[in-house]
Amino acid sequence: MALLRRALAAVGIAGIIAAVLRLRGSGGTPPQSGGWRELSGPDLR
Amino acid sequence: MAGVRVLVCGAGAVGARAARHLVADDGIEAVLVADTNRKRRMAVVASLGPRAVPVDEPDPTRADLVVAAMPANRQSDLGRRTVAAGRHLVSTADSVAAVHQLLDLDAEARERGVTVAVGAGFSPGLSCLLARHAAAELEAVDEIHVAKHGTGGPACARQHHAALRGAGLDWRDHAWRRRPPGSGRELSFFPDPIGGADCYRASLPDALLLVPAFPAVGRVTARLAATRRDRLTASLPMLRPPHAEGRIGGLRVEVRGRRGVTHDTIVLGAVDRPAVAAGTIAGLTARWIIGGRIEQTGACGLASLVEPLPFLRELARTGVRAAVFEGT
Repeated sequence: MALLRRALAAVGIAGIIAAVLRLRGSGGTPPQSGGWRELSGPDLR
Repeated sequence: MAGVRVLVCGAGAVGARAARHLVADDGIEAVLVADTNRKRRMAVVASLGPRAVPVDEPDPTRADLVVAAMPANRQSDLGRRTVAAGRHLVSTADSVAAVHQLLDLDAEARERGVTVAVGAGFSPGLSCLLARHAAAELEAVDEIHVAKHGTGGPACARQHHAALRGAGLDWRDHAWRRRPPGSGRELSFFPDPIGGADCYRASLPDALLLVPAFPAVGRVTARLAATRRDRLTASLPMLRPPHAEGRIGGLRVEVRGRRGVTHDTIVLGAVDRPAVAAGTIAGLTARWIIGGRIEQTGACGLASLVEPLPFLRELARTGVRAAVFEGT
């Protein structure tokens, strides 16, 4: 019985950790320089 | 082009825009509007003027061209009937299954000499156009990566929700790979005001349309911007009703390739309300087919069908503008 309880607890904890990791995400690298410029005039000729 | 009749199936956020774009063209005699919701159909027709005509049943034989702007799961049946009737079709389908089924009409469409424009919306649609436009700057295209943010009308929002629980379809090393939904997180930067958003693999059809248009490409992926709540609730029914018209959305298309011996990356994007952009793109595609500016027959995406520069120029005139990322 104790073994079953421990196994269920382990599975539950692993599930919680997996859910947290899946939803948490992590940072990323934003653009270092420059930016967006609308395509207009000469770009579309 | 005189005397042309166009049937628009679906009078929701996208279909209403497509119909509005079409009635503004004096060369189109009538725009027939079909929608299962009679009240919505009549309201859209009333707002479009005398050349818009309500119809109860979407019968492709009554028109020269059909614009399918209803939910994606009903578009393949209409597509089959349209091609069987020998009429052109412009589809805004944004689900993998519907795009697959519409692409399967290729042989019959060629045989009957009609064009089936598949995924003529915001994404797929504008995404394919931007990829083609970026590719023109390169001598060889190695990779295409699409990221999409936001949704159009309620049908698009439901499709977005369903896509987050469907397997992603990546083209890698010249073979299709199925990837778990919600995997492959990538922080993508969209044009302002959207900025950075986490994007994940999802069941998106963009690669299905881009791979045939770029036969030598080695890698094509598509990702969807999603919040934690989106991902947590992806397997449940939608908890809140979707916005009737959709909010602002964005698109980012990154094309990697070679110019001579140097490797180069071109990043194009767009920001608009997806429903407005999708309706305009569907309407413009229909006008190009009617006007004889698309001569290719068969079923394929916009990257295979249209010259991107003049198409983007006309789109810019209607207010749907693309942008290029310049920087590192």
